[in-house]
Amino acid sequence: MTEPRALTSKELATLASQGCTAEDWTKVAVGPGFDALRVRRTHFGGAVTIGSLAGAVRGPHGIEKPAAIEDAVLIDVRAGDDCRIARVGVHIAGYDIGDGACLEDVGVLHANPGAAFGNGVAVEALNEGGGREVAMFNELSAQFAYLTCLHRYRPAVIDRLAAMAKAEAAKGSGRGTIGAGASITSVREMVDVCVGPHARIAGAASLVNGTILSAAVAPAQVGAGVVARDFIIGEGSSVTDGAILARTFVGQGCRIGKQFSAENCLFFANCEAFHGEACAVFAGPYSVTHHKSSLLIAGLFSFYNAGSGTNQSNHMYKLGPVHEGKLGRGCKTGSFAYLMWPCRAGPFSVIMGKHAGNFDTWCFPFSHIEARADGKAHMIPGLNLTTVGTVRDGAKWPSRDRRAGAVRRDRITFDVLSPFTVGLMMRGKAALAQLMETTDKAVEEVPVGGTIVKRPILRTGQKNYRNAIELYLYEQAFLRAEAAAAGGREAIREALAVPPHAVYSAEWVDIAGLLMPAGRLRDLEHTIEQGRVADAAAFGAALDAIARAYADDAWAWVVRAFREAAGGDLTDASSAALHALAVNYLAAKRKFLRLVLADAEREFEAFSRTGFGMDGGDEDAAGDFAAVRGTYDRNTFVMEMQAALDALERRVSAFKARIGAA
Amino acid sequence: MTDVASRIRAVVARTLKVDPARITDDARFVQDLGAGSIQSIELVAAFEEEFDIEMDEEAALGVKTVGGAVEFIAGVLRKNG
Repeated sequence: MTEPRALTSKELATLASQGCTAEDWTKVAVGPGFDALRVRRTHFGGAVTIGSLAGAVRGPHGIEKPAAIEDAVLIDVRAGDDCRIARVGVHIAGYDIGDGACLEDVGVLHANPGAAFGNGVAVEALNEGGGREVAMFNELSAQFAYLTCLHRYRPAVIDRLAAMAKAEAAKGSGRGTIGAGASITSVREMVDVCVGPHARIAGAASLVNGTILSAAVAPAQVGAGVVARDFIIGEGSSVTDGAILARTFVGQGCRIGKQFSAENCLFFANCEAFHGEACAVFAGPYSVTHHKSSLLIAGLFSFYNAGSGTNQSNHMYKLGPVHEGKLGRGCKTGSFAYLMWPCRAGPFSVIMGKHAGNFDTWCFPFSHIEARADGKAHMIPGLNLTTVGTVRDGAKWPSRDRRAGAVRRDRITFDVLSPFTVGLMMRGKAALAQLMETTDKAVEEVPVGGTIVKRPILRTGQKNYRNAIELYLYEQAFLRAEAAAAGGREAIREALAVPPHAVYSAEWVDIAGLLMPAGRLRDLEHTIEQGRVADAAAFGAALDAIARAYADDAWAWVVRAFREAAGGDLTDASSAALHALAVNYLAAKRKFLRLVLADAEREFEAFSRTGFGMDGGDEDAAGDFAAVRGTYDRNTFVMEMQAALDALERRVSAFKARIGAA
Repeated sequence: MTDVASRIRAVVARTLKVDPARITDDARFVQDLGAGSIQSIELVAAFEEEFDIEMDEEAALGVKTVGGAVEFIAGVLRKNG
């Protein structure tokens, strides 16, 4: 808006004739294009500025209504151009309202001086007893929160991060803002809430002390009956249908609704939470809970799927709710899975049943952990490596990234197999081998990290891990060589060489969705301690650099891991070495795909037809099953796997032909 | 009954906890002996341990009956010398 001017006497007369009043008309200023005829039955208090009033505003359901101010009380408000403010029950006070915003049927919209709009609120994540608080701010990333929450053993880092968070939180304080093009309708109460551009808030019950980040490319949505206190909601997220948030951060692209309630929680990119309840949860990217009776409490999750009735205890009925649980990325809990914290499960594990004991299976990723009737947690290490579920999950996450626009605060590595998971498998395999060697054959059950592994399964677990390790190492090498093959032998040699800037660490870490060598994390924390990464922007830039280095760092790890595990050299670009690589990769990948297909085939076995063909015979069951579930051969997933298998054979043949010619 | 067959039947009885009388050559692991997917894995593991062999997972998937298991494992043992 250009410099506002005072009202003319004619405008003042028009306003008065249309039922408008003011505490002091000299404090009411207007911009070019102001049309007094469009302002009716409105009271002005304090300093009020109004922009042009022309044209129409598109409100809910796409209905256009004229830009106007009607039946409102505005106190210390700056309204941009062509807004619609109508039927304000109590008042709007302390707000800057962006161009084209639509505020209609609003109870009270009030910003107190010095409000921080949710910024700076400490979320007591992960440990209900406290000690891991994460201060919210608009630019909070999963990685920033993770280090703040979990690296309390590095107090100098925590102090620096806290200072950064405080500085960021201070940026969020000031007058209330309603972004351009935002729509706020049928909302009862909003106190100290900032709303970003193009956000849609419809029917919310009560929003207090929060920020709703939004952008034209990623509008946020807050829906009917929502009650939120001390919150930040990220761009592209929706919080709807009676959800209740208290001291909760909702990152970008999240979906929270259907009466879900959350207190002291952090949800990062693309989380989904419906029906159930979360308390003191650190939900890393893609954590999902969809069902009633599911309680997530005091847990660290990412790429997680909570089955119905999932529940955990963090209390143990001793010193209070002080226990924490950590499920590695990709874990699933089955229906009515109950876990007793403290507990830690390796990535991509499936946990079923009611567990009455604590376990730590971090080094046994992709495991099946089931509480059986004997009360023990039985584990089959590596069982989920070749399941349809794991393969489908790995494919769906990147395709379901709802974040839009340039700003993506959480840095995410999607790879299922990576130096992080494969490194854990190597440790797990070594542990299983050692147990097998040292356990008497008469022993039926072997305790492993608080679970029970049947002694013969020690061998199975090693085999599962060995297959996956081989597949990963060969695949990484083959893909690099294949991508460079068109350039001839020298190009392959270059592609297989480890870049000098790559960082090698034997151990990798998963920092809330971002994978990195432990060495890079140590470096990052060192630079934070030294004050060289001193604000959230610099922290984000450092994360970006780590994410960009992922492929080269991973390759450095692969080369070293292969050398140590198999004594071979994956950088060898000789014809014989490349030929062997192609053969080994084909064998490993073919086996993997066939085992996944076999897992899919179980879904079409006779057992799966149980209950089909109601009121009919066997033929009806087969017909019913085919009509509803389809056939194995025509199943989309199966066809994709078959196609991948066929393509694999062709690609390897083509590669061999190329290197033969190179 | 061969030694391999009797050992296989003992492993099946122990792992699946079924009446040995039901473990006939044509008994199917899933339909007749009630082996679920987890028990099937435990069964393969138990065979591997009993005979100190490694069963190829893909090939093992094709074994559906007790008789099939006897044939398969006897083949592996022959191959291993």
